[in-house]
Amino acid sequence: MDFDHQSLVLFAKSWGLLYLMGFFLCVVLYAFWPSNRKRFDRAKNSILDRDDRP
Amino acid sequence: MISKLTYAERETAFAIALATLVGGLALGIAGRNDVLGWQGVIVVVFAIAVLRPLMSSYYEPPVAEDRKVTYYDDPTKVGIVLAMVWAVFGMFMGVWVASQLAWPELAFDGAWSSFGRLRPTHTTGVIFGFGGNALIATSFHVVQRTSRARLAGQISPWFVLFGYNLFCVLAVSGYLMGITQSKEYAEAEWYADLWLVIVWVTYFILYIGTIARRKEPHIYVANWYFMAFILVVAVLHIVNNLALPIAWGQAKSYTIWPGVQDAMVQWWYGHNAVAFFLTAGFLGMLYYYLPVRAQRPIFSYRLSILSFWGITFFYMWAGSHHLHYTALPHWVQTLGMTFSVMLLVPSWASAGNALLTLNGAWHRVRDDATLRFMMAAAVFYGLSTFEGSFMAIRPVNSLSHYTDWTVGHVHAGALGWVALITFGSIYTLVPALWKRERMYSATLVEVHFWLAIAGTLVYVFAMWNSGVIQGLMWRTYTGEGTLAYSFVDSLVAMYPYYIARAFGGLLFLVGVLVGCYNIWMTIASAPLAASEKTDAPLLPIAVPGE
Amino acid sequence: MAELLHRKLERSAVGFVIAIIAAASVGGIVEIAPLFTIDETVESAPDMRVYTPLELAGRNIYVREGCYACHSQMIRTLRDEVERYGPYSLAVESQYDRPMLWGSKRTGPDLARVGGKYSDFWHVAHLINPRDVVPESNMPAYRWLATTILRTDDLPKHLAAQQALGVPYTQEMIQNAARDAYGQATPGSDFTDGVTERYGEATQISAFDGVTTQVTEMDALVAYLQVLGRLTDAAHGNAAEATSASAPAP
Repeated sequence: MDFDHQSLVLFAKSWGLLYLMGFFLCVVLYAFWPSNRKRFDRAKNSILDRDDRP
Repeated sequence: MISKLTYAERETAFAIALATLVGGLALGIAGRNDVLGWQGVIVVVFAIAVLRPLMSSYYEPPVAEDRKVTYYDDPTKVGIVLAMVWAVFGMFMGVWVASQLAWPELAFDGAWSSFGRLRPTHTTGVIFGFGGNALIATSFHVVQRTSRARLAGQISPWFVLFGYNLFCVLAVSGYLMGITQSKEYAEAEWYADLWLVIVWVTYFILYIGTIARRKEPHIYVANWYFMAFILVVAVLHIVNNLALPIAWGQAKSYTIWPGVQDAMVQWWYGHNAVAFFLTAGFLGMLYYYLPVRAQRPIFSYRLSILSFWGITFFYMWAGSHHLHYTALPHWVQTLGMTFSVMLLVPSWASAGNALLTLNGAWHRVRDDATLRFMMAAAVFYGLSTFEGSFMAIRPVNSLSHYTDWTVGHVHAGALGWVALITFGSIYTLVPALWKRERMYSATLVEVHFWLAIAGTLVYVFAMWNSGVIQGLMWRTYTGEGTLAYSFVDSLVAMYPYYIARAFGGLLFLVGVLVGCYNIWMTIASAPLAASEKTDAPLLPIAVPGE
Repeated sequence: MAELLHRKLERSAVGFVIAIIAAASVGGIVEIAPLFTIDETVESAPDMRVYTPLELAGRNIYVREGCYACHSQMIRTLRDEVERYGPYSLAVESQYDRPMLWGSKRTGPDLARVGGKYSDFWHVAHLINPRDVVPESNMPAYRWLATTILRTDDLPKHLAAQQALGVPYTQEMIQNAARDAYGQATPGSDFTDGVTERYGEATQISAFDGVTTQVTEMDALVAYLQVLGRLTDAAHGNAAEATSASAPAP
């Protein structure tokens, strides 16, 4: 390996956290974006549309 | 089933089965001086078992079927039956090995029937045999319904299903012969692992292809879970099983990961197998069959999105909590612990979402045992994820690790969550697929439910007790500062709990047998008139605009 | 903006797949990647030797019979474990272990330092019927090991595979693997000297199962059990440092 242990650990501890926060932000944005509401409502009701009776 | 295939498709199926047979022959010949040879024989027998029905109706005229307006449910039907067969096998093995711990003579002095060889047949039988077949079968059903599109293949679903079962058969028969990598929940050797890679890649392509055909603008969240399951399990399987066979004609291989790296890789795999096989896939089931059965949309679709990404993201980091206080670096242990605790948030979001979906339909839960299966599954999911996060905390783990508490935790998840959600889904699915109005007997579903609940509770309480007692006895000191109990003292204290555990498992197994009978009688009963129920994808013209 | 990106990702299932990989794999990479440079930080054990062919064969029997399902080989850094089983395990001690056998469950006791704790005779009697030696035991009996001849003809292939993966077996060790297995289980035979020559004077030469006319699987398994925790002395300096996370003495 070209990287030494210390720098890998440092990278894991810093950028790993940043990545986590960034990912979290994207997901929250996606879930709460106003124009997505309609799509989600449609999706959650669509599975009940015309399926076999339970 | 074969009658629905065109002549060209039958040719393809024949070619694949024949190639498998030849592969089996090659394996048998290459491994003639090793146990590997017997594995080749099993492949050949399996290939013949597929070829025989194919050959016997090879020239029957194809049944005309408009594939544009029908779903492809034959593989799902067979998958459900296979799942139930594996459930009986795997749980019988579980009861047997549990009994061996209380009465070791039950190994009957055989090599193949000793605890160490039977134990992986139980874990593989229930996790991969029962759970895997149930996941494949339900994912085929869900992806078609939620996409309003037919499966993107006519032969490939069968290849996935039968190929996967061949893997399970090779794995289980191998353990009995003493073929194992010893990697927990990934014991199968290199040739079976390679085969599974081929099967799994086909599964992935089939699934993606079906989703690409969808007529719905949005991919329903259940499919997200199924896709994460398929994709991540592929990555886990490949990385964990990288190994060098000692020779092409021998079953034995050595993993490329040495010592501490192997420990981390194994538990990275092990914990994520729990995450993506036993959680993500079954959450896919939950997010489809629970709303359908309750006839209510999921409580919060947004919450299901947040918990999906939470689970997908966090689980990957949590594996190292299996290695607290070991030779693994301390910071990796801490990382694993932290993420395990954080995992509680998306886990409870899912469980809460499921229960809140039922809010306002509790009378249905009371009257309908099938829905109650799913509700109980969500409750057990919530409980066992809480327990899991708790046990991942280092000081708690110092007590619980290596004891039966871990076994109890796993079974709270496996019996209480995985098996109950599967039975709930299967009881929803069987009448729909076979076009029956309802299950043969609602009473028997009720009986199964209570046997399953009783069995799970007896099992889990026995293991909690034995685990905590064991952990405490190991660390108890006398007034003089010496260890108070020998290891054998702690073992003697376990016997009553081992008997109780075997009994709990037996109750659960009896419940499954009741379920099998009920399913069998449902299939054997008279179908509804053809016109009554149609369950077909929308025609391409009917693409809904966004 | 983020919303637009997500919609794109989601429209094509392929984009969605990439998102799942990004979410799931990064955690694994970040956590596991540093372990591949861990040898820079791990203790070194220059005195550590590799498993002899007989011990390796025994280890494979241990794996085959699933012993790891009930016995751990990992003493944690807890006071009661160190007092019960010996100095806590170090990462370096399993550097030649493929696979590692740390285990996850103690239905039976930890075996990381069982080597030398009991006599060969005790192990053989215990494996033939555990309840003859420990009446309360629930371990299966492994009678057939004493009558099953050990397969030695493929041992060179085992060593060669290990060598290819980085275990320091020499060509000489590989070529003599089958002879060395016989020699270690047959004291006084023509092949015994070769074993100590190649694997060190401390290597235990013994008729492990008490019979020298044939090398059985019992010989191999007992040879393996007797070497557990004795490949290096590296761990024996640390006994005093064990953290006391256990319940303190009343």
